[in-house]
Amino acid sequence: MTDENGWSLEMDAGPIYVQIGERVREQLARGDLKPGEKLPSARDLASRLSVNPNTVVHAFERLEADGVIETKRGLGTFVREDAPVEAMRDESLRASALRYANDVRRLGVAQEEALRALKEVWDAGKA
Amino acid sequence: MLAKLDQVTKRYIKNEGVRDLTLCFPPGEVVGVLGLNGSGKSTMLKLIAGLLFPTDGRVVVFDGPPRRNRAKIVYLGETDALWPWMTPKDADRFMSGLYPDFDSGRFGELLDALEVPRRKTKTMSKGERGRLRLAMALSRDAKLYLLDEPLAGIDLISREKILSSIVREWHTDETILLSTHEVAEAEGLFERTIFLRDGRLALDAQTEDLRLQGKSVVETFKEVLA
Amino acid sequence: MKGFATLLWLEARRSWVWAAALIGSLAFWAWGIEQVRLMQVGERLGVRAILLIVASMTGALVLALMIGRFRSETRGGQYQVLLLTPPSGYVHVGARYTFAAATAIVYYIAIGFLFWWIAEKAGIHLDAASAAQVTLALPLYLMVITILPFLAWVLLWMVFISSYRISGSGWIPGTVMLLGSFFSLRFLVEGLIDIAYRLPSWRLFQNLQTAIDRAAWEAEIEGYGGFIAMPQEPFWVMLALIVVFLALAGRIWQEVEG
Repeated sequence: MTDENGWSLEMDAGPIYVQIGERVREQLARGDLKPGEKLPSARDLASRLSVNPNTVVHAFERLEADGVIETKRGLGTFVREDAPVEAMRDESLRASALRYANDVRRLGVAQEEALRALKEVWDAGKA
Repeated sequence: MLAKLDQVTKRYIKNEGVRDLTLCFPPGEVVGVLGLNGSGKSTMLKLIAGLLFPTDGRVVVFDGPPRRNRAKIVYLGETDALWPWMTPKDADRFMSGLYPDFDSGRFGELLDALEVPRRKTKTMSKGERGRLRLAMALSRDAKLYLLDEPLAGIDLISREKILSSIVREWHTDETILLSTHEVAEAEGLFERTIFLRDGRLALDAQTEDLRLQGKSVVETFKEVLA
Repeated sequence: MKGFATLLWLEARRSWVWAAALIGSLAFWAWGIEQVRLMQVGERLGVRAILLIVASMTGALVLALMIGRFRSETRGGQYQVLLLTPPSGYVHVGARYTFAAATAIVYYIAIGFLFWWIAEKAGIHLDAASAAQVTLALPLYLMVITILPFLAWVLLWMVFISSYRISGSGWIPGTVMLLGSFFSLRFLVEGLIDIAYRLPSWRLFQNLQTAIDRAAWEAEIEGYGGFIAMPQEPFWVMLALIVVFLALAGRIWQEVEG
């Protein structure tokens, strides 16, 4: 189930409420969501993703407990001003790095070769 | 408990529809009812709606027999049961006149949201008729909704609109039982999923718990019912 | 009751073509009556009367078909939809019957007017009271005794057959009911003849003798000296039978599976 920007869900990738939480963190890490920004209401998001609103509420509750978002009575749900964006960026970076490392380790590649390949691809991408 | 099946069996002349089914449905649940063809999904929903009477066991809806409480139940059957000469305006007249809880304003909004043309149903496509029937069902203000294959034979875009509308219109104190073959598309809606096999209950689980094990409902379906 | 009005509207929407065709056919019969003027004078009244009797019988057939149309709805699933609407089976049956009965009343009163017309053409000039009787009272009396109970019976029969849809062929019990009714009919008619004329009868065409004297045509059926006496009893019995048939049909409707 994919939606416009960054709300894609996989039905076989674990509970949906966890995935929604991960998507919020990723969007924050990428800067697609900014601290203080308003999130769609649980029902709106649920409708867009064709998932149960209670699932979205569950995800929001977890994010609120983790200090990422907050609910302002009558106004909606917002990303906290003090949301740990840096930490999430780091987390996201580490997760991607881990995925890369696991992938290339299976090819039996040494760290030096892995880094070289990464640098080459990175430099090529800049141009 | 909104609806309860107590060891319900429905026998037809040649085969059994459902066997020894015991289930409880509290308010506020969106439940998926899944199974292969002939597994008893339709029979179960018709028993709860009061269209069928059990051969054994009891069906209790709102503390009484379903047929008596039919004003509080919304049943959307799989057959396309609209009169061919009806237009959405006729459908509005029909529903408003027979159901006190029907909201014409909401009906109009849903017709727009689902892009239902204002023509006779015999000139509509299957998808448009499906969307009209869903608009009729969702414009009622009931506590129990029984949707029997609302996505059957309907085009992809219409299916997305239908699922989206169901999510938007659902209130947290309402219970929806939805049977479908479109498992992959609809599974996101289900807080609870029931699997029927040969008229018996094969599995009754909280959907997110199934996913905790790393499996989608589609995969569980194949495991349990294949 | 809003439910009854809506179901009546539904019935009108689904059956108006039948009703319109039936009422429209009266133009055909009126034309036929006109054409009879091409025959010899002595035979005209008789032939025209026969035409109207045929019109009455074909009307009954069309009305029975109109009220008995269930199969397309049970197959199409609309019956399911109706079973789950809040109004009781009695209201559903009542609405269906009301539309058919109203159509029948319009049709047969119109035929009553046609009878008045053919009488005029034959030189039988009825006074206002007799004219009212031939166009209103007599058709209504005959309707209550014949077509209206018949339509109620057809409705009951079709609901009865539909109630067997799920568990098997409804045509077997339906045939049983048909044969049973057919044989009961004889006892009904004999019974009605038995009890007739115990209560005072209703007099029609007080002045008919005067009117028909001019056309030299004998029309005494029962009673004495110049009027026709219609027995009350059959009227009330058949009215009661209509209510019984409709009540039974309504009750069966409530218990039917969809």
